[in-house]
Amino acid sequence: MIVLERKELRPMLVAKYPREKTYLLPVLHFIQEEFDFIPEWALQIVSWHLKVPASEVYGAATSYSDIKFFVDDKQTVRICSGLSCWYMGGKSIYDQLSSVLGDEVSIQITDCAFTCSMAPLVEVEGQWFSRATGKSVLSQIAKRSD
Amino acid sequence: MIDPMLSSYEQMVFDAVARLENYRIGRTRVVVQVGQCSASVGASLLADELKSSLNVGDLDVVTTGCDGACFAAPQVIVNYQSGDASYFQNVNYEDLPEIRNSLVNSECRKPSISLERFFSLQHLSLMSGIGDIDPYSLDEYLSAGGYHGLLKALYMTPADVTLEVAQSGLLGRGGAYFPTSRKWETARNTDSPERFLVVNAEEGEPGLFKDRHILEGMPHRLLEGALIAAYASGCSKCYVYVNAEANLSSERLSEAIRLAQDTGLIGNHILGSDFNCTVELRIGAGGYVCGEETTLINTMEGVRREPRLKPPFPVESGLFQKPTVINNVETLANVPAILLNGAASFAQIGLPEATGTKLYSLSGSVCRPGLMELPMGATLRQIVVDVGGGNLPEKPAKLLAVGGPSSGVLPISEIDTRMKPGWLHESGVVMGGGGVIVLDEEVPVKEVVRSLAQYNASESCGKCTPCREGTPRVVEMLSQLEEDDDSTNTIQDLELLSDILAGASLCGLGQMAGNIVKSGLYFFRDELTGKNEKM
Repeated sequence: MIVLERKELRPMLVAKYPREKTYLLPVLHFIQEEFDFIPEWALQIVSWHLKVPASEVYGAATSYSDIKFFVDDKQTVRICSGLSCWYMGGKSIYDQLSSVLGDEVSIQITDCAFTCSMAPLVEVEGQWFSRATGKSVLSQIAKRSD
Repeated sequence: MIDPMLSSYEQMVFDAVARLENYRIGRTRVVVQVGQCSASVGASLLADELKSSLNVGDLDVVTTGCDGACFAAPQVIVNYQSGDASYFQNVNYEDLPEIRNSLVNSECRKPSISLERFFSLQHLSLMSGIGDIDPYSLDEYLSAGGYHGLLKALYMTPADVTLEVAQSGLLGRGGAYFPTSRKWETARNTDSPERFLVVNAEEGEPGLFKDRHILEGMPHRLLEGALIAAYASGCSKCYVYVNAEANLSSERLSEAIRLAQDTGLIGNHILGSDFNCTVELRIGAGGYVCGEETTLINTMEGVRREPRLKPPFPVESGLFQKPTVINNVETLANVPAILLNGAASFAQIGLPEATGTKLYSLSGSVCRPGLMELPMGATLRQIVVDVGGGNLPEKPAKLLAVGGPSSGVLPISEIDTRMKPGWLHESGVVMGGGGVIVLDEEVPVKEVVRSLAQYNASESCGKCTPCREGTPRVVEMLSQLEEDDDSTNTIQDLELLSDILAGASLCGLGQMAGNIVKSGLYFFRDELTGKNEKM
């Protein structure tokens, strides 16, 4: 399936974005939305399309924390580690999940997600839940793994 | 040339009001406040449910932004034809039948006492209408007097608009508090044929959520401000750079841009004048350092996320080496009201040296966390206790983290400090974007200081050596402090390193990274060195 899309990427970029360097970030966002991450071969095509050396594309792309180069197959839970979230219960949620959940779920800590007034904030599979408790997060995980 | 402008605007407003009245006649308006924060407690699902399940007469279910009362989210407000209103707070699925019954009986419920108290002490101007006006509807914004400020500006010369804003004393709300009018003036006086306006909505400071509320609640207010700024500074192209996490903001803003384009408020010959301006939305890709203006420019040009050396300042040579004005969302959202009501009405609020109102984001261990608007120079006590309701029961507050990781920490004894530009305390506490996090006694201070220092270290872009090497070293030395029996030397080294960071770093991130250490050592030296545990 990816092979097909791989062929399609070049004409898609040509149709959607002007061939100017300033469109690097919009192009990367577009690819990430299509594939959930940036495959390495796609950087070559971006380089060709924007007429920027591949090394520069790679350098710029890797400097952004939201641009990902791989996907995690596991179910991911991200716990906000901003001060409000962490001390309003995020820390205890982290401890609780770490002791209850096994290897099938990856528990990560993320930087502030700027929803501090609703602390603590937990992301389960791309969806944010606030005023979370260990129990509510566990039920969300169970709901999503069905 | 003047009359066609006025008549086209009047026609636009007249049509908008007529359309709205036509639609609203005989309908009860049900407002569901959906913002990024309330969506995380299920507000958007609630709105969908209300739209599909409420079959009580003719209803007009509207999703709006949040009014800042995050503690009460999700909120539902029912506006009856009679002018009465009914308020529901912290709504969840189980409350839906109750809302339904109250609609059938046309009941009126007062807002809770804490909600009334939250709003009664605020000075609403920037936030007025947010949570009430549909962000997806240009008609609603127009009928509330929207874009009138732009019309007024277009009758004036760019120099006069700049002068009006200069007289209002508006300072940039991004954290540096630089006079907005001076940026516009410098850019306009350059001889470049092309200039750019960049709206900085890359809000990435822990504890801060103000710009998002404006973008989600009233994107047209920002657009109007941006257009006035573009007119005053002679820019023909405006970019709005929105944080990658703020999906709802970019969605609502792009819809607002589309509507404004369709009605001729963006594009060529705006409102029939000679002023042309286009607006483009750009999405960020994470990183605290992107809020720094030269980094923002680099990001938009398509190169690495790193700051540039200043000078030249962006107003002289910024995006694509063209003069570029960079303003914060909150700054620009203030501009329409300044044009509409005059500079004097803005200047009379707040302090003489810092006028107007300011948005404060309050979170942590308080009764009423949320976004509030108070005059510049409000004390932390007003923010935390009067509006915020004070600490949670049985959790006495101990520490206030003001202004995010670029600023410092204050003990609760400093609660009468006024929030104003410049140092709040000489040990390195600044207002920053106006974020206040309240932490209670159970929270270990050394962990707080270390976690803020760690944030700076991990967000450092690595371009300049002092910041790249210095910020992780600060974290190491903070850990070292606890192990030392005699920490005098380490403290001296830490203070020296903080000063080096401040003096030698390229951009604000590094320059301000020492503040957290300095203020921590000033107020909580014993806890950082672990002394009071041994006692």
